[in-house]
Amino acid sequence: MAEHRYDPVTGQYTTGHSWDGIEELYTPLPRWWVITLVISFIVAIIYAALYPGWPTTRFAFAGLLGWTSAGQLAEEQAEARTEQAHWRNQIAAKSVAEIEQSDELRTFAITGGRALFNQNCAACHGIGAGGQQGQFPSLIDDDWLWGGKIDDVYQTISHGIRNDDGESRQSEMPSFAEMLSPEEISAVAEYVTTLSDPSKAESRKALPGAEVFANNCAGCHGENGEGMHEMGAPRLADQIWLYGDGKEAVARQVAHPRMGMMPSWKPRLGEDAVKMLAVYVHSLGGGEK
Amino acid sequence: MHTQAPAALQTAQSRAHRPATPHAASGKFRLTKTALTSFLLGLYFITPWLRWSRAGESAQAVIVDIPARRFYLFGLEFWPPDLPLLLGLLIFSAATLFFVTAYFGRVWCGFTCPQTVWTDLFFGVDRRIDQRFGRDSALGQAVKSALHMLIAVLTAFTFTGYFIDITHLGGQLATGVAPAAAYVSLGVLTFTTYVFAAHTRENICLHMCPWPRFQSALLDPETLVVTYQAPRGEPRARARVPLRPELLDIGNDGPPAAHSYLTGADTYRGDCVDCGKCVSSCPTRIDIRDGLQLGCIGCGLCIDACNTVMDRLDRPHGLIKLGTEMPATPSTTAAKRTRPRILRLKPMMFASVMLVSGSAMAVSLANRSNVDASLEHQRQPPFVKMSDGSIRNDYALRFTHRGDDIASVAVTVEGLPGAAVRLSTGDEPTPVFICNRRSMSERVMITVPMRTAPQGRVPVTVVLTERTTHAPLARLETYFWGPGGAQ
Repeated sequence: MAEHRYDPVTGQYTTGHSWDGIEELYTPLPRWWVITLVISFIVAIIYAALYPGWPTTRFAFAGLLGWTSAGQLAEEQAEARTEQAHWRNQIAAKSVAEIEQSDELRTFAITGGRALFNQNCAACHGIGAGGQQGQFPSLIDDDWLWGGKIDDVYQTISHGIRNDDGESRQSEMPSFAEMLSPEEISAVAEYVTTLSDPSKAESRKALPGAEVFANNCAGCHGENGEGMHEMGAPRLADQIWLYGDGKEAVARQVAHPRMGMMPSWKPRLGEDAVKMLAVYVHSLGGGEK
Repeated sequence: MHTQAPAALQTAQSRAHRPATPHAASGKFRLTKTALTSFLLGLYFITPWLRWSRAGESAQAVIVDIPARRFYLFGLEFWPPDLPLLLGLLIFSAATLFFVTAYFGRVWCGFTCPQTVWTDLFFGVDRRIDQRFGRDSALGQAVKSALHMLIAVLTAFTFTGYFIDITHLGGQLATGVAPAAAYVSLGVLTFTTYVFAAHTRENICLHMCPWPRFQSALLDPETLVVTYQAPRGEPRARARVPLRPELLDIGNDGPPAAHSYLTGADTYRGDCVDCGKCVSSCPTRIDIRDGLQLGCIGCGLCIDACNTVMDRLDRPHGLIKLGTEMPATPSTTAAKRTRPRILRLKPMMFASVMLVSGSAMAVSLANRSNVDASLEHQRQPPFVKMSDGSIRNDYALRFTHRGDDIASVAVTVEGLPGAAVRLSTGDEPTPVFICNRRSMSERVMITVPMRTAPQGRVPVTVVLTERTTHAPLARLETYFWGPGGAQ
């Protein structure tokens, strides 16, 4: 090691080496920088040993800690379940009507129900549960195909509509294109559009569609079009038309009816989740008492 | 162990001794400092133990409840929406600090800054240990470190106790059930207290604190600062050297000290005998005789030390004194001004900031509403058509209220003819909800008949009133969407 020589021009020391009279100033890496570098090497080695990351042709080294991101997720989910167990157990033990009565459980159910809804239901019914015209019914209005009481809502979510679930809601509107003549379909459609207008309560009886309606439709939809929850038959005497209002749309629905289906959710989400969903949906403003 | 003040900060190298622990001084500044230090430490350590009855239960009087986002100050309760009050308090405090600095220099640094207060406490411990065990005793050093650590732990514990009920904190920490943040706070505060007060000490003031850097912007020529009266003190020499004859006139009623004339030399000295007491007693180890400088924290301990020496020499006090930077020999412009004026531009400007921020804060505190409510229109979908054709809009109402009482709130709507209000929890059309918790959310539904439904968007106001007294609680501006508007 050559002697460091003081260089009067720069006021610094040189490395002491001389190449053809040219010398280099001695400016070593700062000590803290070197220490930091060494420490980061050590940390990197420890890190590589503890966590997975070394692939081979046959398997990957799993790390000494045995950590996996999926394992961490499972751990956090178990933790969340433990934290919520107090309320979850109560929700599992009580009926949906009882949950609604309890201020604390109701708040918990609505909060959890909102998250569940956004994840599972919003794809069809919309984030705000407003439904989609012509596709999926709105859950925030006061018109319910299968009943809007809390128990009805719970039943519908649990087992769904027109699916393979043994307890699912089942019904079918026949296609009248074969059974009725086009003139009759046109006449009954005209009649149906008057049902929601109270001012035509008397005059509509004279319409040619009145008789067709009484013979073919009133069995499910009611004599005055009030609908029937047990059959999932929509009320026709209101302003809510899932598949479109107006004579054209009604005629199309009479001839070639469209019917929605909904999966059963209890097998997928579990009973307590469905209860929370029911309480949430019921709170959205349409809920019948 | 302790680093010396670096040469760069000293305008002149002094021969004076700079001990690891400054020498004790005694006098009115020391007395003030002791009183203030004791008071502030007492305030800090005792406050978390005070109790206050809250919601019928005994609770900690001053506590920051972070999980619940509440700050309790005896009977007052602060919520996140009160944060502007904190801003006001900070502006007021800053203005007060500037105001005091403009008159009296760095009294904040010298007497009340936590760094000063804790360092002074640690100096006191060090001096007593040195007295008992001797300055170089290894046992003494060990006892010192143990006491430093003990104080640091107590400090950290008390600090954590401002956030978690301190009466349960000890047990929680010991049994390992305290929140992780409590352990972090305990560890960090112990570390910083130990390092800052036992080891770094004045280097915090000299190198880390930004305050000394801009203090000179706050001072004016009439600010009272610790000053060495150079015309009186110079030239410095040992006490044997005779005093300059013209100095004998100042303030001293008695006959001149006889020993000043014993040598009969032909050189004279000023009042400063260069004993170095002002340097050895300085907590930041500066030499005040070099003039006003960044390192001076204005504590006045050098004044006490110097006055003690002046007493011994039978000379009047005030060789180092709290004085102005005004020239000792008045020039023509300042000739008539022997005392600093009270009414000066700079402190008065700070006083006006204090007045404005202080009164704004007081007014807003007095008019603070106990209710915090917000209404959010549920825009997906913008409106719901009901089976009778009426149009409904839904809103998410968040309602919080201070205090322990149960709020019974009626909800009405203004600016929308024919509108009916309903709540998702309420039994049919009585729009009243009971808030027996501190905070709740509620779905508010406003329905308008088909005929009077507005086209597009119209502004409406939702009014919350106390149900029985009809006292207004909040007016919430929002809007109502009807069909047929811009879609």
